[in-house]
Amino acid sequence: MSERERGPDVASAGPPRAPSLATRLFSVWMRHARVYSDSLLANATPAVLEPLFLLLAVGFGVGRYIEAEFNGLPYQEFMAAGILGMTALYTAAFEATHATFVRLRYQRAYSSMLNSPLTPRDIFVGELLWCATKGLFYTTIVAVVLTVAGAVSSPWILLAPVAGFVTSIAFGGLGFLVTSVVSNINQFQFFFTAGLTPMVFFSGLMFPVQELASPLREIAYATPMFHVIETFRMLTSGASHASVEWVWVCPFVMVASALFFGAWGVRRMETRVVG
Amino acid sequence: MSSTPRSSDPSASEPVVELHGVVKRFGDLTAVAGVDITIERGTCYALLGPNGAGKSTLSRIIGGVSPRDEGDVAVFGMDPWEHQVAVKTRLGVVPQEDGLDEELDVLRNLHVYGLFFGLRGDVFRERAARLLEFMELTGREKTRVVTLSGGMRRRLSIARGLLNNPEFLILDEPTTGLDPQVRHVIWAALRKLRSEGITILLTTHYMEEAAQLADTVGILHGGKMVAEDTPDALIRQNLPAHVVETHADEAANDSPPGALVERHGDRLFVFHDDQQRLLDWAAQHASGSTLTRPASLEDVFLKLTGRALDE
Ligand SMILES: Nc1ncnc2c1ncn2[C@@H]1O[C@H](COP(=O)(O)OP(=O)(O)O)[C@@H](O)[C@H]1O
Ligand SMILES: [Mg+2]
Repeated sequence: MSERERGPDVASAGPPRAPSLATRLFSVWMRHARVYSDSLLANATPAVLEPLFLLLAVGFGVGRYIEAEFNGLPYQEFMAAGILGMTALYTAAFEATHATFVRLRYQRAYSSMLNSPLTPRDIFVGELLWCATKGLFYTTIVAVVLTVAGAVSSPWILLAPVAGFVTSIAFGGLGFLVTSVVSNINQFQFFFTAGLTPMVFFSGLMFPVQELASPLREIAYATPMFHVIETFRMLTSGASHASVEWVWVCPFVMVASALFFGAWGVRRMETRVVG
Repeated sequence: MSSTPRSSDPSASEPVVELHGVVKRFGDLTAVAGVDITIERGTCYALLGPNGAGKSTLSRIIGGVSPRDEGDVAVFGMDPWEHQVAVKTRLGVVPQEDGLDEELDVLRNLHVYGLFFGLRGDVFRERAARLLEFMELTGREKTRVVTLSGGMRRRLSIARGLLNNPEFLILDEPTTGLDPQVRHVIWAALRKLRSEGITILLTTHYMEEAAQLADTVGILHGGKMVAEDTPDALIRQNLPAHVVETHADEAANDSPPGALVERHGDRLFVFHDDQQRLLDWAAQHASGSTLTRPASLEDVFLKLTGRALDE
């Protein structure tokens, strides 16, 4: 058709086919992969090194002076589960707060995405999947290092990427909830230092929470992070090293948290971008 | 949201856009206060109005990006808010704030945007090359957006808006802040698109832009449509054909019989259908900087809203 030689060829075809849901979600994921591919490894450095330093300094460093076993495990192996959970949590939480806010406020990325066939929901579901992919990627790296370092004793560790993915959806969703209300990027500091950090440290990263006094113990059980760490411990060392007898509940709570916070966070971001 | 509600055969008779009684509020502020618009297929409609008139808000409602509080909106016969995917697939948008990915190069910007439409491979490459040529950006494929000039950015933004071969293109202030040369390049491109049958909605606060490109001009002020017609008819119906513009100190009381006199700031505008009479009057009464010219859309705007467009 010589019509194609002209400028934009409106006349040549009927209405274009609308992209499918899968195409739309994948396109958001691809956009982020394209835009951030250069920085993916650079960003991996803090996301991966921080937990590993913690393991090195506390797990292996302090751990050397600790004779006692924790949940029947040497200290560094006890910590491995929390280290994995922490990697996924911080990766996803950072992506869904700072990175999302920059796209929202400074790059105006969403306003141009909204002019394409993407719906607000497509954008944030796609973005959550991107968060989870990053979480999966970094969790996998840390899991490999932990295995090489001898802090893992169960073949179930092969499922660590899946747990990293699910954990990232939960904390990505939680991050969206915060991002949907902040007006200034500095406000995230409060979420991290007053919200996430204490949750990480009091959910079984450093010590078995079942030994906390009531009601601190029950509070710890109520946080999603406790369930994440217990799930990871099943993968690093097996269910026999669990903190509680009802450990089988933990993976379900983890998945439920992902669905709950993921759905809620996406909804909140949808209303934030729609004027 | 993903179902196509009716067959979308581009019938010539059906308007591309139909708005009835559209209202949009932001808290206490009513940004759009009951607007009706009809845009026929293949025509160019210019929404003319000063900053804050509600142009962008209306464009977003028509583009399916923003819900309205009241009224009916149909684009291609569908409610754009209820059928976002179906409508936006056929629509091209050049937003006021371009939202280009600064760190990516020109081609990758198009590539990423194309993915949102499911465009990839040869179809994408061929279209991108054609559009870059059309917008005179060939050779810039590998240039990062952050290093582009304002004019090139805007041309890229237009190329991006055309990536899905839209039947209907919305441009929100496409030439604001650009050099006159770039403005003319963009106008030429828009004329070409219109000649190919693309329906265009353009918002602007430049009279000349509306006069040059539009079949229909709607003057929006404070969220209300204060006048709507062809550019010529708007002038004819609201003002005599000619005007002398002079300093407001000049004695206006002696204006020629039948003249319409308007005062805005320190400028005096004397309108009359008889150009010779105006010239004679100006020669007698006006001193200093005086301009005699045909009445323009700007004059219509001033008369209808009591303020200049760029105030
Ligand atoms: N998201 C928003 N929240 C609150 N007020 C808004 C928002 N968007 C626009 N407005 C207000 O609505 C009015 C119309 O804005 P806009 O449509 O951007 O005008 P224009 O594009 O004609 O300059 C302005 O008073 C503006 O401040
Ligand atoms: Mg505007």
